[in-house]
Amino acid sequence: MGYEYFPGNSLLHRLDPRTKFLIFLMIVVLTVSIADPVGIFALLVLTAILYRVAGIPGRKLRNMIVSLLPVFALFIFLNWFIVPPKGAHLLFTLFGLPITIETTMVGVTGGLRFLLFICVARLLTMTTSIAELLVALVKLKVPKEVATSLGIGFSSVAILIDKINTVREAQISRAAKVDVKNPFKKLFALIPIIVPAIYLTILRGMDVAKALESRAFTYNPAGRTMRKHIKLKTIDYAFLTVWLIFTVVVAFLRFKYGWFDYMFTIGRFL
Amino acid sequence: MGEREDVVIELKNVSYKYPATDFYALKDVSLTVRRGEVLLITGPTGAGKTTLCYVLNGLVPHFFGGVFEGEARVLGYDIRETPVGFLSTKVGLVFSDPLSQLVSATVEDEVAFGLENLGLPEEEIMKRVKEVLEYVELYKLKDRPPYTLSGGEQQAVALASVLAMDPEVYVLDEPTSNLDPIGTMRVLDLLKKLAREKRKTIIIVEHKLEEMAEIADRMIVMNEGKIIAEGTPREILTHRAEHLHELGLEAAHIPLLVQRLMKERLIDNVGEIPLTLNEGVRFFDQILSSNTLSLTSGNGGSIESKKQGIGEPIIRVENLVHVYPGGTMALKGVSMEVYRGDFLAIIGQNGSGKTTLVKHFNGLLKPTEGKVTVFGMDVEKTPTSELVKRVGYIFQDPDRQLFTRSVKDELIFGPKNIGLPKDEIEERIERVAKKLRIDHLLDRQPYSLGKGEKQRVAIASILVMDPEVIVLDEPTTGQDPRNRREIMDTMKALHEEGKTIVFITHDMNLVAEYANRCIVMSDGRILLQGSPKEVFREVETLETTRLKPPTITSLFLELSKRYPIKDTILTLEEAVRLFRRVGG
Repeated sequence: MGYEYFPGNSLLHRLDPRTKFLIFLMIVVLTVSIADPVGIFALLVLTAILYRVAGIPGRKLRNMIVSLLPVFALFIFLNWFIVPPKGAHLLFTLFGLPITIETTMVGVTGGLRFLLFICVARLLTMTTSIAELLVALVKLKVPKEVATSLGIGFSSVAILIDKINTVREAQISRAAKVDVKNPFKKLFALIPIIVPAIYLTILRGMDVAKALESRAFTYNPAGRTMRKHIKLKTIDYAFLTVWLIFTVVVAFLRFKYGWFDYMFTIGRFL
Repeated sequence: MGEREDVVIELKNVSYKYPATDFYALKDVSLTVRRGEVLLITGPTGAGKTTLCYVLNGLVPHFFGGVFEGEARVLGYDIRETPVGFLSTKVGLVFSDPLSQLVSATVEDEVAFGLENLGLPEEEIMKRVKEVLEYVELYKLKDRPPYTLSGGEQQAVALASVLAMDPEVYVLDEPTSNLDPIGTMRVLDLLKKLAREKRKTIIIVEHKLEEMAEIADRMIVMNEGKIIAEGTPREILTHRAEHLHELGLEAAHIPLLVQRLMKERLIDNVGEIPLTLNEGVRFFDQILSSNTLSLTSGNGGSIESKKQGIGEPIIRVENLVHVYPGGTMALKGVSMEVYRGDFLAIIGQNGSGKTTLVKHFNGLLKPTEGKVTVFGMDVEKTPTSELVKRVGYIFQDPDRQLFTRSVKDELIFGPKNIGLPKDEIEERIERVAKKLRIDHLLDRQPYSLGKGEKQRVAIASILVMDPEVIVLDEPTTGQDPRNRREIMDTMKALHEEGKTIVFITHDMNLVAEYANRCIVMSDGRILLQGSPKEVFREVETLETTRLKPPTITSLFLELSKRYPIKDTILTLEEAVRLFRRVGG
């Protein structure tokens, strides 16, 4: 999916993009600090509530999570082999490899972290228009022409996805089997889609370059106007303060007292 | 103001060669354009029209490189010494492919983009953006991403984004290619106003000569990099109509008809040749009302050569409703049939549901409600891989499907997917390649081919699967009139071999000349259905969906109010025949 903005006027939409960006960073810190899957799940629930606050239909979040479930399963599965077996709570054995609750929890945590990152990042982009994001970048000292180019890139992704969709339809019309299950066959099956996609991307690059030149983008890049203005408001400070305290407390508990490790909650029931 | 200051564009013996090519795209072009002038440029594909546009804002040679000879000045600036970034503040360029020039996340951002580059204060930007968007009637779409708009709306956004910058010179490369006839007139009226009221200089590349004749002060005809004719549109369109036609251009109908009639001595040489519809009506009114010619005698036999609904229904659509995942209801209950041997045209405004409808024919889309049966197979229950064997779907843009190293591999792809034996594939490729005149290109890399050739390869790659029905979704967009005709002639030949053809188009002349049946769609429903003759008679109904019949049809519909012309005339040939019978 490309950059998907969901227009609205919710609390989250009204927050300064910088605030949202910082909160996003804090959530990253939080998820890295917390290893307890129940804790991360709680953050995920909190994120779901924020989706509700932003007025984004529940099915969008649901579809997103459902499409990520295979990756989630992969996290658990791979961790059985990667994490050295530890702990005493044996679940079952797989080809002679002991699978314990502990190793499983490592995988569950990894998978949940991944889900959380994606959901939070999407929430950020869904409540922040590209224009706002660019202004935030400029305020954070990114050069104007770089920020603008980034915005053009985001917009082009959506156009390319649209074009690639027609590529797919055109190949299906030539009886191409694009929906094969076998991952190796799938790779070959996708060549008829990938090749035109690359070609179209190069063409798009040329087109955009021509269009930019023709609309005076190179006229005086440093002096260009950034139309949108952003300002930190009381609500931004309030949000930032609450999140900051929360993050610090969690991090403190984690590193000082060793709370929120993989077995923090589950362990109590064993 | 003196004569000198009035010159805005001055090219002296400009020749230009793109890098890595061995021919000149422009050959010794000299051209002077004055302030406030509207100049029309026309010519077949490869004539150098677009390259000439690029010279005017310096993309040629600055962006493309290559070899540039001669001298080019725009507003006094030597383009070789002026950066494009600066020149583009004075010269606004609108490209022919609307989406290729839209770079922003929303329509509003798009129109503001150039103004931001100019470094204008924010309030000024907001004011101009609002004005321009209201002017092109797009203000309500200001928060939409441009790629979600229809082709016509995208074209309007592209134009708006240049209008907002208020340049001295407008250079527009086919700015109306995605617009319906009424949308086209609106854009042309706007340009005319810019030239008359604000003294802006306007250069338009167009194929729609008839419409342009009323607004252009001067026109040049290009061919193979050279200017081959120059004059007022009236001079060129009336006196050189046959010549334009031979170049493969869409010559204005009325002068072409008059020239043909004079050549065949069916009417006498009568001074001024009419150009517009109104002039045509007056002209023929005079001829018909004089005693020398009367139409009453010759109207016995019908010349309706294209029969309706030849065979049994092979595609049956019943109460079809389609809702896209985003919630857009594209079809609101459509029922129709495609008969064996049909040559069916589907017309209607952008967003009327034409493409959504035909995508059900080979299972690319499944009905939300209602039923579609193709050769007795229920589309909902039949895998697409089965349907595509019977219904071939040819897409608009060949770049979106060619992917192999050679044309031959491209042609093998489809038949191999449906599991045909090797020798059969070989045999089919040979046959189809010959038919589409690409047999000499079989070893070439598809991406290295010209536009028309690529389109033919894309068509061939469907034909080798030997489908009974061929669906074409605007295969002629972005092609010049000659290429359009070539594609349609190929379809006509296939039709004569027994194939059933369904095509979507914006070009009413193609409907008139090729289709035996026509469906007019509007807002997800079928508005009209019948033979082109029946459909084009419904002038008022067509107007509600912003369509109008070909000029030649309008002319004779108008004349039939006063004279006993029973038949609806669709093409030039039919019109000439009408006079031949009468005159003989």
